[in-house]
Amino acid sequence: MTVPATSALTVAIYLLVADGLAALVLGGLLGPAGALVVGIAVAGSWWQEPLRRRIAEVPRLGAVLVALAALAVTLEVVTLAPAMLDAFTHLLVFLLLIKLYTRRTLRDVRDITFLAFFMLVAVSPATTSVVFLGLFVVFLVIGTWLLMLRHLLAEAEGAAAPPLRVGRDLVGLSLAASAATIVITALLFVIIPRVGQAALPLRPQVSRMVSGFSDRVELGAFGEIEADATVVMRVHLKAWEGGSGRPERLPNLRWRGMALDAFDGRAWTVSRSTLRLTLRRQLPVPFAVHQYYGGPVLTQEIYLEPIGSEMIFGAARVLRLHGRSDFVTLDDLGNIAVPAPSARLNYTVESEPEVGDPRQADVADARVPPDARWLARYTQLPEIAPRITDLAREITAGSADRYEAATRLSEWLGRNLRYTRALQRTTELPPLEEFLFVQRAGNCEYFAAALAVMARSLGIPARVVNGFQRGEWNPYGDYFMVRLRDAHSWVEVFVSGAGWVSLDPSPRVGVETPVAAARATLWLDSLRLSWYRYVVSWSLHDQLAAAESVRRATWSWSAMALSARDVATLPRLAPALVAVALAAVLLVRRRRAARETAVTAMPRFYARALRALARRGLMPAAGETAREFALRAGAGVPLAPLTGVYERVRFGGAALTPAEAAEAERWVAALEQART
Amino acid sequence: MTLRALLDAFIHTPAPRPTRDGWWCLGAALGLGFAAMNTGNNLLYLLTALLLGLVIVSGVLSERSRRGLRLHPVLPQEIYAGRPFALGARLENVKRRRVSRSLAVETPGRRLYVDRLAPGQARLLTWETTLPRRGRRRLAGVRVTTRFPFGLFVKTSRLLLDDEVLVFPAVRPLAEPWRRRLAAGGPRPVRRRGRGHDLYNLRDYRSGDDRRMIHWRSSAKTGTLVVRELEAETALDTRIVLVGDGADAARLEAALSEAASLAAHLTRADAAIELVGPGVHVPVGRGRAHLRRVLGALALYEPSAAPTARPAQRPGVSDLEIPLG
Repeated sequence: MTVPATSALTVAIYLLVADGLAALVLGGLLGPAGALVVGIAVAGSWWQEPLRRRIAEVPRLGAVLVALAALAVTLEVVTLAPAMLDAFTHLLVFLLLIKLYTRRTLRDVRDITFLAFFMLVAVSPATTSVVFLGLFVVFLVIGTWLLMLRHLLAEAEGAAAPPLRVGRDLVGLSLAASAATIVITALLFVIIPRVGQAALPLRPQVSRMVSGFSDRVELGAFGEIEADATVVMRVHLKAWEGGSGRPERLPNLRWRGMALDAFDGRAWTVSRSTLRLTLRRQLPVPFAVHQYYGGPVLTQEIYLEPIGSEMIFGAARVLRLHGRSDFVTLDDLGNIAVPAPSARLNYTVESEPEVGDPRQADVADARVPPDARWLARYTQLPEIAPRITDLAREITAGSADRYEAATRLSEWLGRNLRYTRALQRTTELPPLEEFLFVQRAGNCEYFAAALAVMARSLGIPARVVNGFQRGEWNPYGDYFMVRLRDAHSWVEVFVSGAGWVSLDPSPRVGVETPVAAARATLWLDSLRLSWYRYVVSWSLHDQLAAAESVRRATWSWSAMALSARDVATLPRLAPALVAVALAAVLLVRRRRAARETAVTAMPRFYARALRALARRGLMPAAGETAREFALRAGAGVPLAPLTGVYERVRFGGAALTPAEAAEAERWVAALEQART
Repeated sequence: MTLRALLDAFIHTPAPRPTRDGWWCLGAALGLGFAAMNTGNNLLYLLTALLLGLVIVSGVLSERSRRGLRLHPVLPQEIYAGRPFALGARLENVKRRRVSRSLAVETPGRRLYVDRLAPGQARLLTWETTLPRRGRRRLAGVRVTTRFPFGLFVKTSRLLLDDEVLVFPAVRPLAEPWRRRLAAGGPRPVRRRGRGHDLYNLRDYRSGDDRRMIHWRSSAKTGTLVVRELEAETALDTRIVLVGDGADAARLEAALSEAASLAAHLTRADAAIELVGPGVHVPVGRGRAHLRRVLGALALYEPSAAPTARPAQRPGVSDLEIPLG
């Protein structure tokens, strides 16, 4: 079965345009209303012929339209557009519509292809969605088909051949070409060196602002997000050094974000006495965060969506941080923050999770510091009802040590109070008092605040921590999918010899029924993570790591094949051998190319003559030979003798004699003078 | 594919030249690459890689299309100086499996396009050309080019069909003085079959005989169709004698053209001709093959100081002298 190539080309043009517009929508550069209007305008251009004829009748209409567009875009840049990119996008759409309505030749098809391509370019700084990959592949397949069709039609047109029809074989070839292009593109993408600096952010991403992760958190701030299933963080467990069992099954695995130390009765804040340290990194070395106490180390690679927080999340206690940011702020609460809160963060942290009974630990550096201010800071309390302290004393009566007391408090809260997301106030009492004695129900923040306040009332250093629960394990990509509804609050109490130890009083896990995602959802999300990991976040560091892996694999293979003596000399010889081989091949190729060029390239004198004629508006048509062009140019233009010499040189493979060269020079000069 | 084959392909592949669209594509790749480096945006790297990927695939596909083609010349037997003639070539795809697409055979006068050539398929292409001067001449040659698949690059084969051919001197209608002179000798019958006026023989009709030649009276007598055969009739058996040293190049060429025209005219009249001149002698003969020998001698004629060695004249053969100047 065959179809007319012109019909196939028209369909391909519209599919390509639709792909470009879909990309603009994906990147948020075209809103729903704009997309609808542009979509209708594009669909209308399918029947463009009558309108094109009318436009052609009006002289200079095209020039006027383009001038108006340029003016509109300038005005937009100066006054309206939120960023240069938006104005650029509007210009692209405008030019596309003009081209669609006035298209006549195959050159217009080329222009439309370029415009659709630049729509993908425009979107690239505005999105990191995996949907872009789909649009990219669609563009590649249709673009390949369109370019092939356009070329064949152009050649057939130049040769005055009968109308071209295309069949399955050409479709198959186009698909094969697309597949090959995808493979080569992937390979090139991986190996193109990432040597640049991100110095030109074209359009900042608009991030979602999520409450609960700033340095002042009101009680109940998590209420609104605890039902939101949006995935905000993906945690891939890369290594578990010194630990036993599978790391994803570790108890108490949570992603610590921000610790808060000051409580005013309604909100937790980071106190003014906090020591902040901003580090600037000159070399690609990890940021050291906490001291290593000698336990097993869990390495996590984390992809954090923009949620409006500067915080770095990771399993407690973070030892080292690897990331792209040049600045990191650390404070003595163990909070880690980076600038650029609106961009997706990709970083790796090494943590030393809490394992075993903290009372068994005896780390010298983790003992209570002999500093009254330190103790006052972590036992600070606003004015609280005496019955809260009485309750704490009652619960912890007979405890052997502070850790046991804190554990008893945590267990009592989890056992006797109810977890709920439906927060309501019915009295004028302070929120915590109402929670403990009236409502006896609340969300994780209330539980954490109650535990911290009750511990502090007994003189136990404590602080509230906001972060995320571990999330759902995705077996397709071996990572945790952490959703907004996993936002959580818990408490850290200080145990001398073990340092800050986490306690989670909230009975949330027992109340909430985990809803497992469908397999397809998990698979799609793992695809999304792969997209982030291997495309969006691909870096020079990854390239070096990949190169190192290849080198190791090659080395282990060659080491098996060679003797020990050969192996010792190979590293020194290999680069030289490769360089020599490459140089030899290039030299031979260059010589050959020089020989080929001597007879295949257009002679310069003829190229000059063509340029001179082009300035007078005389250009060879597609497929027109030199002789036909000379005939068309007419007797008034001295091109015929020049054409004879050109043919001898170009097709006869003969070099010009000095006399011929001088003569050709005279003719060319005559042509050039004629234009002036 | 072995490493050697890969290297061989790399070295022997002619470098493609970008078309205008190709320059656009390369320019866009360069610009995007620059933008990617300055923004650190991996999606821009991806788009840059796409453009470069298209360039590479374009190079591979065009090479697959260009390879395995053979161009066999189809040359006319006689080529005359200054007279346009049809030159042909059979373009053949000798590959086993791969189709060659979008091929252009670029000749000095025309660009011939072949949209598709299946494996083993051949296509005859012809074009017109003119060689202005007699002698051994090298044909201008042609190139097979392709812009397949995307029109981004042109791949050109080496020069093909640049064979040498023999160009006879220009043959023109015989000038009136020569016609009068030949007519003055008058026709004379000779005892051989020909196209004269006297009867040579009667024989049975054979399929393909001219019906006007049927001898009706004899046919009526015998009851079978009988046709007349006529005697040849000529006084034109001629010896063309070139005289002079040919010092004047223009005159020499005109004289050789005159001699060639005369020889062609006489051959058409079924006359025997002989060519004699300084350094040249073509013995007497008759027919197209002999005419080609004479024309070949005239085509390759070089002025010589040697005196004209004129063999004895045969009876019934008249001399026609042509001064070389």
